[in-house]
Amino acid sequence: MLAMVLFGSPEVRAGDDPVRIAFAADVVPILTKLGCNSGGCHGKSTGQNGFKLSLLGFVPEFDHESLVKEARGRRVFAGDPDSSLLLQKAIGRVPHGGGRRLRIGSADYQVLADWIRQGAAPPRADDPVLVELTMTPTRGVLQVNSNEQLKLSAKFSNGTRRDVTRQALYLSNEPEIGGVDGSGSVTTGERGGLFAVLARYGGKMAVYQGTVPFGKATEPVALPKDASPVDRFLVEGWARLGVLPSEEVDDATLIRRLSLDICGTLPTVAEVRAFEADRRPDRRTRLINRLLDRPEYAAYFAMKWADILRNRGKGYSTSKQRPGTALFAGWIRDSLATNKPYDQFVAEILTATGSQRENPPTVWYRQVRTSVDYVESVAQAFLGVRIQCAQCHHHPFEPWSQADYYGLAAVFARVGRRGGFADAEVPTNEQIYVRSSGQVRHPRTGRVIPPRPLGGPDLSLSPFDDPRQRFARWLAGRDNPFFARTMVNRMWGHFLGRGLVHPIDDSRSSNPPSNPELLEWLTRDFIASGYDLKHLVGRIAGSRAYRTSSQPNDSNRLDTQSYARFYPRRLKAEVLLDAFSQVLDVPTVFPGDRGGKFPSGTRAIELPDENVSVHFLDVFGRPDRRSACECERTDDPALAQALELVSSTEIQRKLADKSGFVTRLAANKKTHSENVQELFVRIFSRRPRDEESRTALEYLESEPDRKAAYQSLMWALLATNEFLFIH
Amino acid sequence: MLTVPGRTYRNCDGISRRNFLQVGAPLLGLGLSSLLERESIAADATRDKGRSLIVFWTHGGMSQQDTYDMKPDSPAEYRGPYRPIKTNVPGTIVGERFARQAKVMDKIAQVRSVFHENGIHAPSAHWMQTGYFGPTLARIAAQHPSFGSVINKALGSRSPHMPAYIAVPKAEAFGYQKSVYLGASYDPFEVGADPNSKNFKVPNLALPGGLDLSNVRKRRDLLVRFDSLRRDIDRTGVMDGLDAFKSKALEMVTGEEVRKAFEIDSEPAALRDRYGRHQYGQSALLARRLVEAGARVVTVNTGYWDHHNEVHQNLEQHLPPLDAAMATLLEDLEQRGMLENTLVYCAGEFGRTPLINGHAGRDHWSNCFTVMLAGGGIVGGRVVGASERHGGGVQERPSTPLDVLATIYYAMGISLGTHNEDASGRPVSIVGGGRPIHELT
Repeated sequence: MLAMVLFGSPEVRAGDDPVRIAFAADVVPILTKLGCNSGGCHGKSTGQNGFKLSLLGFVPEFDHESLVKEARGRRVFAGDPDSSLLLQKAIGRVPHGGGRRLRIGSADYQVLADWIRQGAAPPRADDPVLVELTMTPTRGVLQVNSNEQLKLSAKFSNGTRRDVTRQALYLSNEPEIGGVDGSGSVTTGERGGLFAVLARYGGKMAVYQGTVPFGKATEPVALPKDASPVDRFLVEGWARLGVLPSEEVDDATLIRRLSLDICGTLPTVAEVRAFEADRRPDRRTRLINRLLDRPEYAAYFAMKWADILRNRGKGYSTSKQRPGTALFAGWIRDSLATNKPYDQFVAEILTATGSQRENPPTVWYRQVRTSVDYVESVAQAFLGVRIQCAQCHHHPFEPWSQADYYGLAAVFARVGRRGGFADAEVPTNEQIYVRSSGQVRHPRTGRVIPPRPLGGPDLSLSPFDDPRQRFARWLAGRDNPFFARTMVNRMWGHFLGRGLVHPIDDSRSSNPPSNPELLEWLTRDFIASGYDLKHLVGRIAGSRAYRTSSQPNDSNRLDTQSYARFYPRRLKAEVLLDAFSQVLDVPTVFPGDRGGKFPSGTRAIELPDENVSVHFLDVFGRPDRRSACECERTDDPALAQALELVSSTEIQRKLADKSGFVTRLAANKKTHSENVQELFVRIFSRRPRDEESRTALEYLESEPDRKAAYQSLMWALLATNEFLFIH
Repeated sequence: MLTVPGRTYRNCDGISRRNFLQVGAPLLGLGLSSLLERESIAADATRDKGRSLIVFWTHGGMSQQDTYDMKPDSPAEYRGPYRPIKTNVPGTIVGERFARQAKVMDKIAQVRSVFHENGIHAPSAHWMQTGYFGPTLARIAAQHPSFGSVINKALGSRSPHMPAYIAVPKAEAFGYQKSVYLGASYDPFEVGADPNSKNFKVPNLALPGGLDLSNVRKRRDLLVRFDSLRRDIDRTGVMDGLDAFKSKALEMVTGEEVRKAFEIDSEPAALRDRYGRHQYGQSALLARRLVEAGARVVTVNTGYWDHHNEVHQNLEQHLPPLDAAMATLLEDLEQRGMLENTLVYCAGEFGRTPLINGHAGRDHWSNCFTVMLAGGGIVGGRVVGASERHGGGVQERPSTPLDVLATIYYAMGISLGTHNEDASGRPVSIVGGGRPIHELT
C-alpha cells in the first residue's frame, strides 16, 4: 500500500507482491544511483571506511552481507529503520565522508526504510529478475542547444514492467556534444557531432545515439563517377551531420600520403613527377597496387603488427640475447608480402606450437605468458575489446563478467612450455606445446570455467583437441561479430587517422561506430574477399574520403568524427627517422648485438624489435611493446622531441655528412633557384610557392657560406610541421 | 592480488571510463553529474599552490638504522658502529653522520613506518615511485607513471620556458621515473651531466659540433617563417602542442633563462663549498637553482646505496655528502624564503636489514623503513610511526608507498581524486587506497 501511495501504481515494484521489496531489483539500483557503490566510494576494491560494496552492485549477495551482517548489525536496524546507519549516513545525520545523498521521506528513502522494516531480506531465488531494459528513443537528431528527455523501461522476469528513467544512471561519451543529467534529460552543446548516451540500471544497459548537425542538414554532395561504396556511406553521414567535405587533394599531396601510409616511406622526386605526369584514369589504383607490391609495404605493416604482437627484444637488464624476434619479424613480413589471408595469419599465431626456429609465431607466446596476457592481448588485438575491467569485477559498461574473462583465459589454459631459461624474461629455446590438462578457476566462486570465447560456444574438448584451434575457427566464422570488424576498423584508423570505432580497440555498445553502415559494409567486403589485406587497403586508400584535403571548410572545421576533412597526424618515429635519412641521403647507423651494427642502409621500419637503442625513436614515441594496444605508440608532442630536432647530433651529422645530399647540393653548379625547386619536391613532394622560394632565396643569398646556408635551410624545412605530419 | 595487513592491493583500481577523469571540467555539469556529484573526490579539485618538489632518490636502498631510525639500545649486531646524536628537536636522535641535519631537524619530518611487500630492487623501486606493485624481476617494464610525471601532468611547469620535471643527472636506470601511459610529454628532462664536474654543461642544451648560437638563431628564424607560410595545412590545432614545444626547445637552447639556471658557476664559492664539492652537494644546489627558475620537480639520482658488504665503510662515502647537501639545501631554501613552497623528499626503494649480515653488510628490507620529508608545508621536526624494538617490523602507524605519495600530492595541491587513464582506457587513481599522512600536513 505504501508503494501505491508513493508511486501511484502497483507496477512500481518488481515483486509480485507490491509491498515486498526485493533486494537486488529494488534496493541495489538505489545504491547504484546514489553512487554508494561507485569506484570512488564503497565500490572500490578497498571499500571506504570499512564499508565495501560490490562495484556498481553486480554482486547483490555480497552487498547484502556487507549491509546486514557486518559492522555488528548497525547498518540496518529493523526495529527502527530510521536509525539504521545506512540511512543516517545517507541523509548526513551521522557524519559521512560522501556527504548527504538522500532526503528524508524521498521515494528512495522510503524504499530503503521499507526494506529494512521488512527484515532486510536477502536476495531470494524467486525474486523477479530484470530481463530487459528499453530506451526510448534509441536514436535522435537534435539541434545544438536543445533538449530531449529519454525514457527507460525495465521488464522483469515475472512480466511486470516499470519506468526506471529516474532510477537509472546515465553517461555520455561526448558530453560536450550531448550531455545527459541524472534524470535522463539530454542537452546538446554549442557544436555538432555524434554522441551516445549509456543508461545503466540493475546490471543492464541501453544506449541512445544522438546526431547534432553542424548546420542545416544538406543534400548529399554529388559523388564523383569513380566513387566507391565507401564514399556513398560517408556522403550520407555528412548529409546527416550537415557538413560538406573538404576539397580533393592534388596528386602531389596524394602520393605523399599514399607512400607514407602504405610503405612508411616518402616518395622520391622521380616518383612524384611520374605520378603527376600520369593522366590515365586508373593511375591512383595503379599507384596503390605498385606500393602494395613493394617490400616497404610488408616491412612497414610488419612493424605495426610487431607492435601489436609484442615482438619485444628487451630482456632483464643483463640479458643481451635477441630471442627470436628477428625470426618472428621476418615471418610477419613474409606473411604480409605474400598477402596471406588475415584469418590464416592470426590462426597461425594463436595455434602455434614448436620452437622459434621451426615455427616463428611461437615467439608470440614469449611475451604473452599468463592468463592476463592471453585474455587482454587476444581481446584487444583481434576482438577489438578492452576487457581488462572484467578481470576483477563485472565490466561497468559492457555485458562482460568475470566468467567471460576467465572463459577466454581457459582457451589458453593448456598451453605448455618446455625448455628455455627459467629466469630470463624471454627464454630463447622455449618450445610451445598443448598439454592434456589445464584449467582456469573463477577467482570469486572458485568454479572451474570452461574455455569459451566472448559470447561464443563452450569449447570444452577432449584432451586430444587443442581449444585454440576451435577458438581460431570461431574467430574466422562469417558471423563472428568482432574479428573482421576489428581489423577493418584498425586499417581505417591507420589510413584516416581515426577508427570508425574510436579508440580502435575499444568496441562497446556504449561506444558506437561513427558510421555503422560503412563499418558493416567494409567488414562484409573484407570477409567476402577472403580476408584479403591488400584488397582492404585498396578499398580504403582508393576512396574519395582518403583524398579529402586536411584544409577545413566552414562547415567541417570542428568535425572530428565523420572524415569530412583529413585529420593530420605526425609521422611515426621510425618513418620520420627514415624520412630524414632519405631526404639527406645519409643512412642511420643502428647498433646491433655485442657492439655490432645492423647492415648499412637498414631502415628503422625494418628493425626486428624495439631493443635497438636510438634516442630519436624513443623520444618520438616508439612503443616498448608492453601491450597489444596500438595506443602505446604515441604521437604526443614532447619537449624531448623538439630538443632532438634542435640540437641532436644525429640530425646535424646527416646535414653535414661529406657525401650526403646537403654537401652535394652545396657543391653543385646549379643556381639557388634550381636547387630550391628540387629540394621542395624532395622534402614536401611539391613545388615551392612563390613566397617560399623568395624566403629561401633571400636567405641563401644572404649567407656567404654556401654549405652552412644549405644546412640551415634544410634543417628549417625538415623541422616544419608540413614535413613532420601526414596531411 | 596481494594482501597486506589491513589493506588490499590489486592492479584493478578501475572505476569507469575516461569521462570520469574530467572531474571539474566546467562543461560536464550535465552528463556526469549523476555519478560525479556523488564522488566524494569531486570536492577537492587540484589547486596549484605554486610549490615545487626536490627529491633525493637513494637508489639501492639506504640503511634506516644508521641514519634516521637509530636503535642505540639494540645488540651490536643490530645497531652497528654509529652513535646517535642529539638534534635540535628534543627527544629526536639521528646517526652521527647526519650531524648537519641534526641542526636543522626542526625542519625535517620522518616517517619511520613505511613498508611494502617486495624485497627486490626493481619491483620495489616501481612500488615506491609509482605507488603500485607491478613489474617483477622477470618482467621489468614499468607499468605506472612515476610521481614526478603525475605531478608534471597535474601541475606543469611554474615557468613557460623551464622543463617541469628534471632528472639530475639522469632518470633512474630501471625506467621508473618516467611517464608510461601519461605520454612522453611528462617524462623528465635529463640533465645528462654531473653538476660537480669541471665545465659542467648540459648536453641536451649544448649545440652539436660545428654549430654556434648564431647558426641556431638563423635556423629558428627560418623555421618560424616557413611554418607560418604553411599555416593552412592545419587550422584545427592538432599541431599546436608540438609548436609549443618547438618554441620552448628553441628558447631553451638560444635563450638566456634556462641556460642561466644551469650556470652553477655563478653561485658564490662559499655556498658551493657549504653544499659540498661532490655530486650530492652540487646536485642539490642545481636543484635549488632549477626550482628557483620555475621547475616543478627535480629528482636527484645520486649514489648507489646497495651495501650488502661492508655497509659502514660504504656509508662513509655517502652519508657525509648527503648530509651536507640536504642540510645546506634546507638552510638555503629557508634563507631565500623558498622552504614553504619547496617540498624536499628523500627515499629509496626500501631500507636495509636491521641485523648486520656475515659480510658486515645489510641486505634489502622492505618490512619497515624510513622516508624523509621537509618544507612544502610539511610539519618539521615530527616523527611519524615507529619500527619495532630492533627495527624489524612496523610498531605503529603502518604507512604504505601510496600513503607517502598521497602526502606528497596533497602537499603539492593535487586533487587526490585524480585518475589517469592507462593504455586500456581504465582510470587509475593516483593514490589508490593511500591517504595523506595527516600528522605531517
